[in-house]
Amino acid sequence: MKKYFLVAKLTIQEYFEYRLNFLLWRLRNLVSFLTLFFFWLAIFGIKEEIFNYEKSQLLTYVLGVAFLRSIVLASRSVDLSGQIRSGELTRLMVRPFGMLEYWFSRDLADKILNISFTVMEMGLILTIFKFPVYFPANLITYFWFFIFVILGILLYFYISFTISVVTFWVDEIWATRWLFGIIFLEFFAGAFFPIDVLPNWLTRLIYLTPFPYLIFSPLKIWLEQLTGPMMIRAILICFVWLIFFWRLSLDLWRKGTRNYGAYGG
Amino acid sequence: MKRIIKVWLRMSSMAAQAQLLTNWAGVMFLIGKIVRFLMFLLFLFIVVGSVGSLAGYRREQVILFYLIFNLVDIASQFLFRGVYQFRTSVVSGNYDIDLVRPLPSFLIPVFGWMDFQDFITLLPLIVYLIYFLSSGFISVSLLGLLTFLVLFLNGLALAFAFHLFVCATCVLTTQIDPLVWIYRDLTNMARFPTDIYQKGIQLVLTLTVPVIILITVPAKALMGALDQKWIFVSFLMSGFFLIGSFKFWWYALKRYSSASS
Repeated sequence: MKKYFLVAKLTIQEYFEYRLNFLLWRLRNLVSFLTLFFFWLAIFGIKEEIFNYEKSQLLTYVLGVAFLRSIVLASRSVDLSGQIRSGELTRLMVRPFGMLEYWFSRDLADKILNISFTVMEMGLILTIFKFPVYFPANLITYFWFFIFVILGILLYFYISFTISVVTFWVDEIWATRWLFGIIFLEFFAGAFFPIDVLPNWLTRLIYLTPFPYLIFSPLKIWLEQLTGPMMIRAILICFVWLIFFWRLSLDLWRKGTRNYGAYGG
Repeated sequence: MKRIIKVWLRMSSMAAQAQLLTNWAGVMFLIGKIVRFLMFLLFLFIVVGSVGSLAGYRREQVILFYLIFNLVDIASQFLFRGVYQFRTSVVSGNYDIDLVRPLPSFLIPVFGWMDFQDFITLLPLIVYLIYFLSSGFISVSLLGLLTFLVLFLNGLALAFAFHLFVCATCVLTTQIDPLVWIYRDLTNMARFPTDIYQKGIQLVLTLTVPVIILITVPAKALMGALDQKWIFVSFLMSGFFLIGSFKFWWYALKRYSSASS
């Protein structure tokens, strides 16, 4: 356990080595947040409710997206692709690490760093713009939100790890990651807008994919808009995808390491 | 000029052939670009349609802003994609070879890699834009259309100036990605009418990375909603950025250390 703690610590130190890059990355997140924030503010105008969202709920959704991007989508397992391609993975494989544990530790470090900055940025935004934030009335909602966030973190980790592991067979992995790990993921996870503003048939279809359980579902729970049966269905689908990607990532890793040629390593 | 265009066409043809070799990645990128375009279009149709207007613009006008954003964004990606590869060239020292060629020093860094996928997406976008304008959703005058074309070209000149600035920064610092991505993120802010942002943010979007000049001003000209002073401001800003970027480029080039050679 101690060695993974050290891995996480070293990951944070790496970030402080490239401070400017990290600050520019935070600036990018802030720009994305402001774009969505002002868009929804303008959409509401003098209205108080749109698509069954009160103004405070939708602005909280936008704020929540910024938080969950930091907690759920912040990841370093993306780097695994580069390590496989360059052969650097060899150096890691001879060390006494479990690969999943190693990359998960790096992911956690990334999340800790990002969430600390997000808290500061959002605190500043709230002080400047003073918009109403929705807090759940029921204590149990916080518990369910926490459970969904944990599930989201695990699900994203296994999705990201699976995409990275594909590099054992495919040289050009960036296109695959861009399509599935960015475009589909961000739209269908609700990172740009709540997916239930889309037509009903499309929303139902998106619910069957793994993506809404990363951002959209936790935020719907926070906004207390998921009923009991909806929540159970969401947990079940999320679990199915979690088991699927967990199994897939392990199988692919096992097969991939047998196939590994350590090019350039 | 004729020779430079000929060289660019040859470089573009070679870039297209190289991109066609990696079919699978190309298809993925193409699908992603189309999905992103359609999802945002659908979203704007639904959301702005349900409230009637956004910052005083009708739904069709908001869609037009979005289409012009895509036009400018894709056109500049198509033309200036070379910038994304310039870092490798600087770090490896391969830029030395480009420098000894009888070509303007900025030609290969900025224009050296035409993006074939962007070219493919640009064509249907232009067709849809023409259909959208001709279907009568928005009345466009001939003067508005001409002003738009001039401002669009002016916007591309401005985008070129920014990409040249990024290349110059790369020569000095060997860093390119963070600046390019911030430019892309700020450009994305003009996906919606920039009137939705607070005055301070609008000022930043006019004076620092002038995405308002790049996207909002041409779009407003097309729909006949442009205050004429913006035409003057647009040319002034482009001139300022072009001169500034060229000066910075020459400054950086004198300090090029041919890193790995």
